[in-house]
Amino acid sequence: MIRSLVAVVDDDESVRESLPDLLRELGFEVQAFSSADAFLASAFLDDAECLILDVAMPGMSGPALQHELLRRRRRIPIVFITAHADENIRAQVLEAGAVACLLKPFTEAALLDAVMKGLRNP
Amino acid sequence: METSLASVVDELSQLRDQLDNEVAKGKRVEAALLESERESRLIVDRIPGLVATLTPAGEVEGVNNQVLEYCGRTLEELKQWGTSDTVHPEDLPRVIEVITQSMASGDPHEIEERIRRFDGAYRWFQVRGLPLRDATGRIVRWYVLLTDIDARKRAEAQLAGEKRLLEMVASSCPLTDVLTALCTFVEVISADCHCGVYLIDWSGPRFRNGAVPSLPATFNDPIDGLPVRREIGPCGQAALLKQQVIVTDLETDPLWQESAIRPLALAHGIRSHWSTPIYARDGRVLGTFAIFHREPASPTQIQQDLIAQVTHIASIAIERASSEAALKRSEAFLGEAQHLSRVGSFAWRVAKNDITWSEQLYRIFEFDPQVPVTLDLIGTRVHPEDLTLLHDMIARARSAASDFEYEHRLLMPDGSVKHLHLIAHGTKNESGEVEYIGATQDVTQRRLAEEALDKARSELAHVTRVMSLGALTASIAHEVNQPLSGIITNASTCLRMLDADPPNVDGARETAKRTIRDGNRAADVVTRLRALFSKKELTLESLDLNQAAREVIALSSSELQRNRVVLQAELADDLPPVKGDRVQLQQVILNLLRNASDAMVAVDDRPRQLMIRTERDPGERVRLTVKDAGEGFDFRTVDKLFEAFYTTKPSGMGIGLSVSRSIIESHHGRIWAEPNDGPGATFAFAIPCAVMRTV
Repeated sequence: MIRSLVAVVDDDESVRESLPDLLRELGFEVQAFSSADAFLASAFLDDAECLILDVAMPGMSGPALQHELLRRRRRIPIVFITAHADENIRAQVLEAGAVACLLKPFTEAALLDAVMKGLRNP
Repeated sequence: METSLASVVDELSQLRDQLDNEVAKGKRVEAALLESERESRLIVDRIPGLVATLTPAGEVEGVNNQVLEYCGRTLEELKQWGTSDTVHPEDLPRVIEVITQSMASGDPHEIEERIRRFDGAYRWFQVRGLPLRDATGRIVRWYVLLTDIDARKRAEAQLAGEKRLLEMVASSCPLTDVLTALCTFVEVISADCHCGVYLIDWSGPRFRNGAVPSLPATFNDPIDGLPVRREIGPCGQAALLKQQVIVTDLETDPLWQESAIRPLALAHGIRSHWSTPIYARDGRVLGTFAIFHREPASPTQIQQDLIAQVTHIASIAIERASSEAALKRSEAFLGEAQHLSRVGSFAWRVAKNDITWSEQLYRIFEFDPQVPVTLDLIGTRVHPEDLTLLHDMIARARSAASDFEYEHRLLMPDGSVKHLHLIAHGTKNESGEVEYIGATQDVTQRRLAEEALDKARSELAHVTRVMSLGALTASIAHEVNQPLSGIITNASTCLRMLDADPPNVDGARETAKRTIRDGNRAADVVTRLRALFSKKELTLESLDLNQAAREVIALSSSELQRNRVVLQAELADDLPPVKGDRVQLQQVILNLLRNASDAMVAVDDRPRQLMIRTERDPGERVRLTVKDAGEGFDFRTVDKLFEAFYTTKPSGMGIGLSVSRSIIESHHGRIWAEPNDGPGATFAFAIPCAVMRTV
């Protein structure tokens, strides 16, 4: 079977190290980016089937990237991850169509659940 | 017998001849006497003075024409002098007594008395009586010479009066008393008049009755408070035109028909009114001196001289009174000021060891103001630990007349401690003696306030740290959750790798290592936070400001990101270490970063650029600068920025910068703010580098 491609965008290096490894263990193809711009500029923009996106990043933030993708009509399931328990942002991104907003630290099960949900309902 | 008769006849004849001779001689003598009397009468009449003759019993026998003319009375009238008003009634008893005594003893007499002139005026005379005695020494007549000494007498009286007035002025009698005496004096010297001194309050300008002793309240009261205007009357005009105004007859003078004074004066029987300005030394008009008469009158030269003299004295009295009032005011003011400011003043003539203290200084030392101050006495109050300081100060003060300043404490009898701040200025007087004039301020309250303020500041510093906690919770959570997230993810990955078939041991080992790394990272965060929130005194250590800044940046970065602030750090490579309290300095840096971030919340038309920079400053200092692109601040309020409870933020408490300043100042550094050329503001502090010890 063709493994679904999941993109991870997070400025935190340790996340870019650990999360892709786990996702691969869970059976996905993974590509990590350190910023929203890097993702937008990459060839994987069109191929990614699910996007795991950090909320707070220097430059373009996660919600801003979500907005940009909507503007470009690039519909892609987004799973937000954040270390901030900010209900406003959570409500805002879910309203804008995000699949889930996971609060770090999150469990493997929660992550898998959210990604699978995204892949089911593109 | 015949011989004897003849001899008797002869003798008788001789006797008759002798008798004839004697008779003829007697007749000659009598004639000569009459002649001489006639001559002396002529002489007496021709003497340019007043002469009278008295019988040995003291009766007036004759007077010369001058007497008749002066008195305007007949000889018969003058003979009744003892019961008439020829001699001034006040002088009469004395005159009678002296003359009676003189008649009884036969000694010459000399009296000064007032004798009535034909017009009713009394003039002073010196009256000298000399007895004329016959061959047997019997008094046959008294010659009396009357010399007019009125001018001298008046001059003497005037002089004595002026002297008395000046003495009153000099002895600081109340002004009203002096002016009253002055008016009475003129009224005595220049008879039949009323005098008044009217002061001018130029703020009105209005007249104030200085003294009008011999006129009733019905006349005086309406004048007190009248505006100083020309149409009021002669005093108004005299004051405004600065010239004497003589109104001979108020009733007829056309100039004053409409004046306010006229009906009042006429109602009190006053006809003439003279007013003379009283000048201050600088030419200002202090008031007016008025003389009123009940008959139309104009001043004689003597009266004019008198007016000139008394207005001069009045001017001295008024000026003296006002300068004394001013002096008293300023003394009272000084005393009050000393009391309020808790400043006492002193003078110390070193050679004589003569010390003068102000009342307030006695109060500060709590010494009895009656007790003379000595250095020994001062020594009993000075705090034992500061005695050396006192002795050192005294020794230095004795050696040279230089200015000195020092702070010491007093130990009061009740065991309390006062802090004093003393400043003294040394001078040498004409004789080369060293003298100090100084001020001592009780700064106890200030010192206590400073200590309380320091305590409050450090508590505030703690409070702001704790308050930052609330706002920082998100950042802290982020900081902690980030490594936790890594730990969980890595651990999950690790388990999966180990559970795989075959187990991916290398991958598991790698993820386990990452787990440890993230665990350490979380522990670091906790350590930093614990340091940040522990309340402790300043702990000085040599530290790298760059490192301290990096830690703060790490703590704040997520919050800054959330606020879409782009942080740019330019930390100098060659930064020397500084000596300071890491936690407190980090508190300042954190505060500056947060302020910068807050200042850019509303900025949407440009990048929310925040620059933090460290660099070496001249003078062995290290500088940290935080530059934002926010709204900036009003340069006029730059002085206020660092004051406690001053804030430009709607939700701010305004303590961050004041606490920052107190921290930087306790590091012997400086913190400041300046507007940028472009948008935003730059805040910076500079603190000294750690001293490099070469041991």
